[in-house]
Order: sequence, then C-alpha cells, then structure tokens
Amino acid sequence: MKILKRQSKRKLKAKKLKKHQQQEAIYTPDSLLRHPLRLFKQMWFDLLSSRELAWRLLVRDISAQYRQSFLGVIWAFIPPIVMAAGFTLASQAKVINIGETDLPYAAYVMFSTALWQTFVEAINGPVKAVTVAKPMLARVNFPREALILAKLGEVFFNFAIKLILIIGLFIWFRVPVTWTVILAPVALVHLIFLGTFIGVLLSPLGVLYQDVSKGLTLLTSFWLFLTPVVYPVPTEGVFGNIVKLNPVTPLLVTTRELATTGIISEPIGFWIVSIITIIGLFVTWVGFRLAMPFVVERVSS
Amino acid sequence: MTSLIEREIDIQPEEREAVVSIENVSKKFCRDLKRSLFYGLRDIASEVTGGKRKSDTLRKNEFWAIDNVSFKLHRGEALGLVGSNGAGKSTILRIISGLIKPDTGTVRVKGRVAPLIALGAGFNPILSGRENIYANMSILGLETAEIEKRFDEVVEFAEISDAIDAPVQTYSSGMAARLGFACAVHIEPDILLIDEVLAVGDVKFKMKCHRKLSELRQKGTAFILVTHNSHSILNICESSLYLKKGQLISSGDTEKVIRKYEEDLCLSGKENALGSMVLPPKPKEKSNGLDIVSLCFKDEQDNNLETLFTGEPAYLSVECNSYEHIKTANLGMLVTALSGGEGLVLYMTSTSDNQELEIPIGKSEIRMHMPYCSMIPGVYSARIYIRNGVYSYDIVESFRFTVKANKTISRCQFYQPRQWQVVSQENIGL
Repeated sequence: MKILKRQSKRKLKAKKLKKHQQQEAIYTPDSLLRHPLRLFKQMWFDLLSSRELAWRLLVRDISAQYRQSFLGVIWAFIPPIVMAAGFTLASQAKVINIGETDLPYAAYVMFSTALWQTFVEAINGPVKAVTVAKPMLARVNFPREALILAKLGEVFFNFAIKLILIIGLFIWFRVPVTWTVILAPVALVHLIFLGTFIGVLLSPLGVLYQDVSKGLTLLTSFWLFLTPVVYPVPTEGVFGNIVKLNPVTPLLVTTRELATTGIISEPIGFWIVSIITIIGLFVTWVGFRLAMPFVVERVSS
Repeated sequence: MTSLIEREIDIQPEEREAVVSIENVSKKFCRDLKRSLFYGLRDIASEVTGGKRKSDTLRKNEFWAIDNVSFKLHRGEALGLVGSNGAGKSTILRIISGLIKPDTGTVRVKGRVAPLIALGAGFNPILSGRENIYANMSILGLETAEIEKRFDEVVEFAEISDAIDAPVQTYSSGMAARLGFACAVHIEPDILLIDEVLAVGDVKFKMKCHRKLSELRQKGTAFILVTHNSHSILNICESSLYLKKGQLISSGDTEKVIRKYEEDLCLSGKENALGSMVLPPKPKEKSNGLDIVSLCFKDEQDNNLETLFTGEPAYLSVECNSYEHIKTANLGMLVTALSGGEGLVLYMTSTSDNQELEIPIGKSEIRMHMPYCSMIPGVYSARIYIRNGVYSYDIVESFRFTVKANKTISRCQFYQPRQWQVVSQENIGL
C-alpha cells in the first residue's frame, strides 16, 4: 500500500515536471532577475529534471575515463602516496622542519592530501565540465545544472575510491578512531561545496577566457602551501594568521579531526565558513544560470 | 509578414495554435573576438546585477545579425528559412531553442524543441553506441524510461545493430551521423529545428529521413528547415522566410519566396547571364588551331535570345574561327545550376550523339538545336569545349545564362515535353 502511494506520488511529480516542461517558454532581453519568483521556480524544476541527465553524464564520464586508462583506479591512490613518501623522506632527513602532528606523519600527509585533492577536484570540476561541454552547450538547451551535478558526483566517486586507501591507512597505522567519524562526511561535504562554490563562480569566465584555467592551476598549487596539508596548523606568527584566515583550513581540519581524534579545534571557524559556502553556492548558482546564455553567445557562431 | 499570418488564420482559425511566435526580435554580434568576449563579460555583469543592458543599441564593432524579425510557426507547419551565408538563419534557430537571449523583442516557444543542429551532441567517441544513445537522448531531454522504450527503434532506424556495442570512434562518419539523426528524431519533439543536416548519409538513408520527417509532421510536429538547397525546401515547406543580412526580405508561399531569393542570388551575376558572350580575339600564336569567338542562344527565327524559356525551342550558336580544316570536331557542353546547387544538370557532346562536326578553315557557326528547353527556371553556367579526340582546341569555362518559364513548372526537376489527347476505346472496338 505504502509503495503504491509512493509510486503514485512519484508519478504525480513526474507529471508536474512534464507539465512544466510543456509550458510556454518566453525569452526576452530583460534580466531574469526582474522576475525572481519565476527564476527560482525554474531553477528548482531544472534541478529536479537534471538529476537523470546528471546521472547519465556521470556514468558516461566515469566509464570513459577508466576505459581509456591502463592503471585506472590506481590513479586515485598515487598522488597521496607520492606526496606522503616525499614529505616523510624530507622530514626524516631534516630538510624541512615540521612540528608534531596528532597522527603518524605519513598517514597525516596521505589523509590530508586526499582531502585536499578532493577539494581541488571540486574547484576544477565545474570549470572543466563547462569548457569541455562547449559544443553541447552551444547546440542543446539542457538544464545546465546537470553538468555541475555530474561533476559533483564524480568528485564523490573519486573520494569513495580514495576511501579504500584511507581505510587501509588507518588500519596499517592503527589510527585511533572515535564515534565522531560518522560526522566526518558532513564536514567533507562542506569542503566539497566550498570548492564547487568557487568552481561554479569561475566556470562561465573559464569558458570565455583561458586565463581562468591557467590561473586556477597556479592558484591551487600556491593555496596548498597555505593549507595545513603537509604540516600541522601553525599557532603563531604572520604565517599562522594567514593559514587561519584561509577558508579551507577550518573545513579540512575539522574533517580530519572528526575522522580521527574527535576533538574539534575550530568549531566557530568551521560554521562561519560553512554558512558562507552554502549561501555563496546558491548565489553563484543564480549567477551561473544568468551568465550561461551570454557565454554560449560568445563561444560559437 | 502579416499577410502570411492572416492567411493561416483564415484557413484554420482554431486548430492551428502557434508553437513558436517571434515578435520584433533582434540580435547583435561583434566581429572582433577580444572585444566580443569583453562585451560578454559586461553583459553578464549587468544581467547579474539586474541592470539594463541597453541591448537595443549597437556598441563599437557590433552589427545586427538579426534585425527586427517577426513570424509565427504553427502546429504541424513546416517553415523554410532561406538566405545566403551569414543571413542570420542559424542565429534564429539558436534563439528559438533558448540557447541565446534576444537583444530586443519577445520569443514564445511552446513544447519540446529538438535542435537538429545538435546532431550527436555529447557523443563520446570512446563509449559504445549503446551508451551514447542513452547520453545523447538524455541531453535532448528524455527520461531513462522513455529512452528504453525507443531504444530498439533508434538502433533499427540508424541501421547500426551490428555495431551497437562498438565504440563510436570506430564508426564511419555516415554511421555516426545516422545515429545522431536517429536519436534526435526519436525524441518526438513538438518543434524540430533542422539546420542543413539532411545531407548526411547515402540516398537511401536520406529518403528514410524524409519519410520519418513527414511522419512526424502528421503527428503535429512543427518544423523549421534551414538550407541553401531550394529543392528540398520546395518539397517540404509550404511557407518560407527569406533572410538577408538579418532582415526579413520576404515571407509567405515558398515558391514566391524562393523565386525572390534566387532572383537576388543571380542579381550579382546578371550582366553575365544575358545569354550571349563574345570572347576577346586571340592572337594566332596562342591559338590551338580553333578559337571560339562567341556564344549565344537563338530562336527559330534566328533572333538572339536573352533568356531561354522552359519548353520552348532554341538553338545554341557557337561561332568559331578555325585555322585548319577539322574533320571530326567534338563540341561538349556541361551545364551546372548556379541557384539550386544540384551540381551537373546536363552533359552533352556531339560525339556521344554520333555527330562528327566538320569545320572548314575560317569563320563558321556550330548550331545545336534544342526542340524543347528542358531546364527549369534558374541561372546556369555552361562549360563549352571543342575537341578532337583528346586534343582540346578551345574551352569556355563559364557561359552563364538564365532560363525562365511562361508556364507553371514548379516542383519539377526538369521539363517533360508532352502532348495530351483522349483516345476513345469505343472506336477501337467497333
């Protein structure tokens, strides 16, 4: 009975969606912001109707990615391992001086690198997705949200693979885990959202100007040094303040702490950045929608 | 324009609702890429802040790609869109599909739009045909359940059942195009935008496409067909629009619109299409032994004809000056259509007619009698040569002429000379 009800409910939803699609679409030169209600409604419907397309794109991209690769899944493991190996060697040889970390150093670097990588993927995802989909964007009017959702899915998928490495790591180094580990995904989602927020903000510009993707590579590699990935959170000095002001710091650190010690050092910073991220993500979503027709207009004839 | 709309309403006032209605739509583009990108950035900024774009005025280096165009497309109607390159045809299609915003005016679209400009959008060459069908149809707006329902039909239509699990990069270009077309038509849209894509595949597949399109039309799908080829428009669309540099020049009955378009097309070469041509005299050293002096058409009374008339008799007159006595000259004439783009129309040689022309020394005139001119109205270009075996005496690369009609021959590929009579069977029996 319950299933039946749910089914009929779903059918109703699908019908509603269809009805909306069949409604008259009106295009005028005016800014869509002049009819915010209509815009938000359209955004909601597009988000709903883009789920299936996003899934298709996700499946398409992931299967294409692994089909053309010999090492396949292993690529998700290599960067954290290389990074950890390099920094462990450097720190053991006292080339670099790194303070005490609350985990064994190699595990610390590997886990943090996996998190950092996920964040960088979340930034690059939307920019890459929109750039690659240029010909598609120029020809078909599909809900553009699908591109972003598909990339988001890919980021989660890649993290899930990295999770195998992380679990192996935790067992190998006998990292103590508290019950807070079940909350870690929440912090991780916020971290990914922060990356997506920046990515979506830059993606329309990224299609217009190649400078964006070039600058992004530079920016993320510099940003890495301002984030406590290979070193513990510094407590003093100018550098300490810069690292503290870095919005990635509280999210990444909190994720790490939730997964391991369970003692959160910066709850306020975490929530401030999280709220800004959620609001920012919504605002950039609106901006992204408004900007896309102008981007499409400029990229192809 | 209004005349078209009124006429349509007169025919079926209630049945035919407008699925696309375009009112005073304009769109501007910029020729300078760097500036264009910068303008794009500025437009985005004013859009996001909700400000006015002042979209109705041109900025530096901009031009109107579409200028104040209005028209309506009704359910089940097929509308042709003709015009030379850069007339704004594709821009209109892109505005209708909602890809770009108009700079002035309003566009209203009812129902699902399938742009055939988007053949194979989102095809990934590494993935199999099967996976690509799902991705492509999903991009075009179909739900998974619906794709599954139509999957077999698509494969069958595209004729790729053997290769369905092979990666698309192993497909021939024709196969990929067929798959793209099959996906697009099987989403069963309300409005189909076709941009010069009916040229894909071989003749058999083309015919299949046309059949499918007419089937869709019976179901109520409205079409907009963009092409340079006036024949396919004449066959499919009852009404058409002619765009020139973004402006709507004429609209209404396809035949009228096409005639206007072709007239304009020929206008540039009109002085060359007078039906006669006098060639500059060549010095003897440069001659191969025989020179063509002039070319023209004559009627049966020996008067020069400016244009040929379909179905009327005419002579092709080739005046030449020969320095030697040629016993077996061969005159060849290759006619191509300039307006239709259909390629070679006629290929006639005297040798293939088993006529060996004997040309004496000095001036002479070779005449070819055409009891009926079978070419349909249009502008043609003829390549005329005189040879002996493989030895070439003289060639005229392009002799342009116009064919007009004083009878209705529209929708025909050529004119069939004919006579009518009624023979009573009763008389035979008696």
